Amino acid sequence: MASQVLPLELIDKCIGSRIWVIMKSEREFTGTLLGFDDYVNIVLEDVIEYEITPQGVKKTDLAQTLLNGSNIAMLVPGSDGPGY
Amino acid sequence: MKPHELIALDTNHSTKIAMSSAEGPTHTGSPTDFLKGVVGKRVIVRLNSGVDYRGVLSCLDGFMNIALEQTEEYVNGNRTNSYGDAFIRGNNVLYISAAEPL
Amino acid sequence: MDASVTGIQEPLDLIRLSLSERVFVKLRGDRELSGILHAYDGHMNLIMSDVEETIMIVDPESTLNGRGVVNVAKRKLDMLFVRGDGVILVSPPART
Repeated sequence: MASQVLPLELIDKCIGSRIWVIMKSEREFTGTLLGFDDYVNIVLEDVIEYEITPQGVKKTDLAQTLLNGSNIAMLVPGSDGPGY
Repeated sequence: MKPHELIALDTNHSTKIAMSSAEGPTHTGSPTDFLKGVVGKRVIVRLNSGVDYRGVLSCLDGFMNIALEQTEEYVNGNRTNSYGDAFIRGNNVLYISAAEPL
Repeated sequence: MDASVTGIQEPLDLIRLSLSERVFVKLRGDRELSGILHAYDGHMNLIMSDVEETIMIVDPESTLNGRGVVNVAKRKLDMLFVRGDGVILVSPPART
């Protein structure tokens, strides 16, 4: 029987690594994952925010940031992001 | 009423945060730890609409409801308003970012 | 700032301390209210009186580069229930 790995156990292994966060809207973040909770609220460090608009991508640098989990769609572990 | 009692009662709010470290992962760097470190500091609160509020974080609860002091509102980078105090309903919050070293 | 200095332990205390005072409320849909706060609950449902509502009518063409408000409508309302899910921000009067 295959061992069951819970989704958040995988994310837990990414703590300390870069992670790419894709929101439900046209917005993405990359940063170093410091921690998260059961609601997948996420704490990131050395963050870049990407706002994808018809006019282009707007990038914003942020320090330590708590990202609300309620609008997160996907997490890409170990990725340094979209490369915009 | 304590935050966890509100969580049990409230059905309108979908935004929640594990306030007790017993609920979430125990390593440092969790949302709870971040919030403990950032209360009293200058922060940027960005809403889902893209509007930013810059101010000193007074306190917050399990829904990410926020009380800010010396609040300045920015729309598209332009300052549009300022408030001595502001209560921000948590469901609108995209992120809380430290605006000074922790 | 220390909570013992401000007398605020949780965000809703800010609202509690504003009861019977004139508050500014920012709502979804580019609406703003100014009125006397009479009651609130954990959803941020509000009862307000002597309310002035300001509705920003936004031009979608000019919103792209910022301040795109082309028209402002105002009206007075004597007594009002505000459903909490529309509330973005509540600002109490300045504390002294």
